[in-house]
Amino acid sequence: MAKGGTTLNFGAYGLKAVTTGRITARQIEAARRAITRHMRRAGKVWIRVFPDVPVSGKPAEVRMGKGKGAPEYWMCRIKPGRIMFELDGVDADIAKRAFELASAKLPVNTRFIQRFGG
Amino acid sequence: MASTRMTVTHMVPTPLEAGTVFKTGDYTMSDASVLQAELKDRAGKGAARATRRAGRVPCVVYGAKKAPVLISIDPRDVMKGLHAGTFFSTVYDVEITGEKTERVLPRDVQFHPISDAPQHVDFLRVSAATQVTVDVACNFMNAEESVGLKRGGVLNVVRHTIEFMCAVDSIPQSIDIDLSSFDIGDSIHYSAVSVPEGVMPTITDRDFTIATIAAPSVAEETAVAEGEEGVEIEGAEGEGDTEE
Repeated sequence: MAKGGTTLNFGAYGLKAVTTGRITARQIEAARRAITRHMRRAGKVWIRVFPDVPVSGKPAEVRMGKGKGAPEYWMCRIKPGRIMFELDGVDADIAKRAFELASAKLPVNTRFIQRFGG
Repeated sequence: MASTRMTVTHMVPTPLEAGTVFKTGDYTMSDASVLQAELKDRAGKGAARATRRAGRVPCVVYGAKKAPVLISIDPRDVMKGLHAGTFFSTVYDVEITGEKTERVLPRDVQFHPISDAPQHVDFLRVSAATQVTVDVACNFMNAEESVGLKRGGVLNVVRHTIEFMCAVDSIPQSIDIDLSSFDIGDSIHYSAVSVPEGVMPTITDRDFTIATIAAPSVAEETAVAEGEEGVEIEGAEGEGDTEE
């Protein structure tokens, strides 16, 4: 389980991971675009995760050895409970649909969460 | 203290009501609600887990220079208070079975990281004169009539709650903030808010910001994304490293 980042800190709505996984920078960007496109001209988005882990790989048809492969992409490790995105300034229905679209771009199961009161 | 009766007829959440306190019906500020509790005989994580397995929430009542009392309450009572948005600013009478009633103020709730179910609640014993520091939720009103929001601005809530120091009986249920006169680019500072008598903010050295009405940033970003879609992906994620 996530040790931190499990509560809403900025917005009124959030997308929480409920399974573990690795999220790449491309997936984060795809999810962000899905959110912003659905919200059109309203709202504000916060991204609470950052892909700071480089993942290396060897090219195809290369024999083992000859040193470590070159960095191929960047990712972040996600643990259950982690809030990945937050939203504010839009209706709950719009936020929910935006997060559904974002969740489809991510390799982890997610849950929509909402702030009550303060 | 004389109680203030207010009638709040609330409404379905609308787009720009982030941080709104959703209340219904009549309530009185100084009315103490009642929580039914059972005494818990053991302390520690084993006993707390057993309490949770039994479908209850372990709690502690402390303060007033008396020994702490371990109790358990129904999680539905906690969730009801939390959903109303007034849990931390409401004084409760905790009726402990076989024991006396304690007058308490909820101070902290621990949540499960995944399910967000309440795991533990801290209650502070209070009397009418007790001075407490308490977070009170901001209630943003008249969003539909706000000049800036009608022009497409976004309400950016800087503080969903404001921390006050006051007597237990004077804790406001929420702080109402009228948005009708604010335009895009305006900031709503503490000086624009009216608070009841005897209630002092803990931040006194500056006129702090509660919210701002910002221009919709998403529209600008979308314009950029649509214009240079391919460039954004390559530039953003440090993929230049793959060429090394």
